Parts: sequence; C-alpha cells; structure tokens
Amino acid sequence: MVLQDINQALQRGDVNGVKQGIQEALDSDMKPRVILNEGLLSAMETIGVKFKNNEVFVPEVLIAARAMNAGMELLKPKLVETGVEPVGTAVLGTVKGDLHDIGKNLVRMMLEGAGLTVYDLGVDVSAEQFVAAIQEHDPHIVGLSALLTTTMGEMKSVIQAIEEAGLRDKVKIMVGGAPVTSKFAVDIGADVYAKDAAEASTEAKKLVQ
Amino acid sequence: MKPIERVGLTLQHKEADRVPVYPLLCGVSRKLVNATYPVWSTDMDVCAEAYEKVTDAFDLDVICTLIDLSVEAADFGQTVVYPENEAAHPDIKNYLIKDIADYRTIEPIRLRNAPRMSGHIQLCDRLVKSKGADVPVVAFVFGPLGILSMMRGQSHMFMDLWDDPEAVKHGVAAITETLLEYVDALAATGVPAIMLDTLYASQSIMSKDMWREFEGVYVQKIADRIRQHGCMVMIHNCGNGIYFDAQIEMMKPTAISFLHIPDDCSSYAEVKEKYGSEVTLIGHIPPPWLLSATDEEVYEECRREIETFKTGGGYILATGCEYPANLSFDKARIIVDAAKKYGRY
Repeated sequence: MVLQDINQALQRGDVNGVKQGIQEALDSDMKPRVILNEGLLSAMETIGVKFKNNEVFVPEVLIAARAMNAGMELLKPKLVETGVEPVGTAVLGTVKGDLHDIGKNLVRMMLEGAGLTVYDLGVDVSAEQFVAAIQEHDPHIVGLSALLTTTMGEMKSVIQAIEEAGLRDKVKIMVGGAPVTSKFAVDIGADVYAKDAAEASTEAKKLVQ
Repeated sequence: MKPIERVGLTLQHKEADRVPVYPLLCGVSRKLVNATYPVWSTDMDVCAEAYEKVTDAFDLDVICTLIDLSVEAADFGQTVVYPENEAAHPDIKNYLIKDIADYRTIEPIRLRNAPRMSGHIQLCDRLVKSKGADVPVVAFVFGPLGILSMMRGQSHMFMDLWDDPEAVKHGVAAITETLLEYVDALAATGVPAIMLDTLYASQSIMSKDMWREFEGVYVQKIADRIRQHGCMVMIHNCGNGIYFDAQIEMMKPTAISFLHIPDDCSSYAEVKEKYGSEVTLIGHIPPPWLLSATDEEVYEECRREIETFKTGGGYILATGCEYPANLSFDKARIIVDAAKKYGRY
C-alpha cells in the first residue's frame, strides 16, 4: 500500500508525499531496493510511458522528476548501505554554446528512472569537460544535447575530443535535441540517436544490458 | 506580380501567379551588411538595411521581423547576452525572476522605457516605408508566456505552473498589458500583419488545457487588439504536435507558420484538408535538416511540400523556423528557386 502511495505521489509531483511514503516504508523495514524499484522507478516508468503517449507533458514530468530526486536523497544512503548497484552510468550535458536544458533534464530524469546513475554536467559544456567527466566517472553512455542549429556542430567536436583522448571505445555516445537527426548522428560518428527522452531511456537500457 | 499582390491573393485562398516564398532569413541577413550578431540585433538601421538587402537579393515575398526571442524580456529588465555569432539570449545565471514570489513584482512597462521593443517598432516603420508598398512586412512578437520564461528559465517556470499558478498568471497578465501597447504601436507603423510566437502551444511542451489557461486567454486579447487595428493575426509555432484547433479558436489567425504536424492530424495532406481553407499555411521546411541536405534533396522537399499544399492558394513556402543563422545562403536560393519552378499556378 505504501509503495502505491509513493508511486502515486511521485506521479503527482508531490515531494512531501514521496518523502513521507519512503520514510514510512523504511520505518517498516521495507528493503530499500524494493522501495526504489516498486515505488520510485515504476512510477517514473509510468510517467515515461504517459509522456511518450502525450498523456502528460513537460511540466508534469519536471515536477515528477523533482519528487524523484527528493525521494532519492532520502533513499540513496540506505541503498549504498545495502549495496544496491545502479544498472549503468551516464554522463550528460548540453554542448558548448548552448544553454538549453529542458531536453537534457528530461533525458536525465528518464535515465535515472531506468536505474542509471547520471552525472549531469549542465549546459554550455566543453569537449574538454566531457572528456574529463568520462575519465572521472567511467560511464557506459555519454549523452550530448543541443537545441540550436548554431551549436549542434559542437557535438562532432566532442566526439573528436573523446577519440583523441583514447576513450571512444569505452563509451557509447548518444545524441539528441530538436535540430538533431539520425542522419546527423551517423555523420558525426555517434552511436545512437534518440528523438526524445523516452527513446533515450529505451536506448540507454539496451546499451547497458 | 508584386509580392504584396501574390501574398494578398494567397491569404484570400486564391491562386496567384505562383506560391509565395520566404525562407525565414533573419539573423543570417547580417552577413549581407557585414554586421556582427550583436550589432544586427541592436542597431535597427543596420538590421533594416540587412532585411532590405536580403529581401531584394532573394526575391522574398514576405519580410518577417524576427530579431531574437529576448527583445521583450530585455525591456522588462532581464539581462541579455549578445554572442558574436548567434542570437541574443537571457543570461541564465541571472534570471530576473529568481524566486516564485518574484512573479508578483512584474508590472507592465511603457514603451518609452523599452529600448528593444521601441527599436523593433522603428525597424517595422522603416521597412514599411522602404519596402511595404511591394512586400508585406510582418511584425514578429513573442507570446507572453514565452517572454515570461525568458525571465525565469523554462524549467523553473514550467514547475511554477503547478506550484503557484496565480503567481505565473500575474506575470503573464502584466506582460500582456505591455504587449497590447506594443501591438498598437506596431500596427501604427502600417504593418499589415503581426505574427505572435506561441512557443508553448504544442505537445512538445504542455497540454492544450494548460496552454489555454496560461497563455491562450491572454494572447486572445492581444489577437483581438491586433484585429481592431485592421491588421491580420498570424501565428508562428515550431513545436511538435502544434495545437492548431485551440489557437484558431482563441486567436482567429489568418495564417499559421508551422514546422510539425498538428496534434489532431496524421499527415501534412490532412493538415491541408482539415485547415487549408480556414488559415493560410506557412511552412514547413526543417531548418536543421538544411545543414546536411543536398541541393537535390532541398529541391525535392520543396516540390513535395508545394504539391501537398498549393491547390487553391492559402499556402506560402517557408522554413518552419528561422533559417540557420550561420549557414550559407545557397539553400535559401534553392528554396526560392523551387517556389518559382514548382509553385506556378
């Protein structure tokens, strides 16, 4: 019952409801992994499906993600204590010169909802910063976002920098953003093109399997 | 036929000599006057000269005065960054609305205290005088919810819609008051149409009901005011799953400039069938695609779009959003050529 409450609260974007439910579940000795999988992640998966089907939209997804983050703050120490491992790791960022973050934030939320640990480098991220983050976090996936025709070319520079650093074989590179196309992704040497956040999640799950 | 005659017939859903064309050549026009983006954006003499030159050089049938999406927000006090080679944007580290409570501090501003909007009015005035007898000048105005997001940041504003809807509405209402005065002044320059960018009226962003509540009812007032001046209302929205029905109901536009298929259609042919007699359709060549498309592919895309939409008038070939600001003019020339080649009636 409490898991259902957490699930519903998260879908409503109810931060307090999520935190209260998690605390209640922890107090009743429920395993953190169960709370994560059946409370938070299943709710995020539902949000992802609804988002893909145009049943919920960006504002609803953002408040759900905020509730998820609040819940994870509470749950993360318990997960670490009990040795629960993430299913994979991703480094995300909007490329240099581009300040748009909504698409990238949605992808982060969907990837976290899929059980990945995500290192979000933010916006206006240089090729050097991507390389440094790969060296630091050893991710399975690097996600590059761009919204502008004037900045999407920077994605190629990032991929070149990753190649020059000798890291290309260690990571799968996913690209997306309004102006990006599958053809463009192929042209610049990316591994995966995701047309939206839901597809990014689906592709990420395949990549870390 | 002059562009103004061609476009006039088209907007009446009559077949002119050919399909009118205007790839949205805005920021890229700065190259024709050797101006940097900051100069082009802020010196309206330079901007006007660029628009005049690009219109002449490419036989454009419409001049649409898009400068950047920060014009209005800047005048409300938002700090704006002017990069050398791309459009101006808000300083994301210094949004005017830093906290949800700050929406209530937003008040209407007067145009005499609004240098960028005043500059845009001057731009329209000059273009109407220099080109308006031959080419229709369409003044571009950002919608009130879009302007507000430039002062708060999109992510925060979208969450605020849930957290304190009344606070957001206070901000939208204040901006709307200013935009009413703004469209009065733009109409006074003699522009025949004002194009409102309703950026969030699509499935890309928010539900139809949410858009109606947070922008539709406000932009409806602006559209009504535009029509009171005898100007046409046009809409620009490059979102995926654009809400044609809700926007037509609330804004009664003469034309809609779009990129993607509306939420209630499944193909572009259906868009023509469903909405083609109600509004003039403007679009929908994808600008990002132009970066990698071959010349032949661009010709073919234009031919395909013209074939889909041209029958009975009511269609203008255009890019679905601004032409890439750093791309060469080659693809623009192809688009115009394609309208002349394939768009004949």
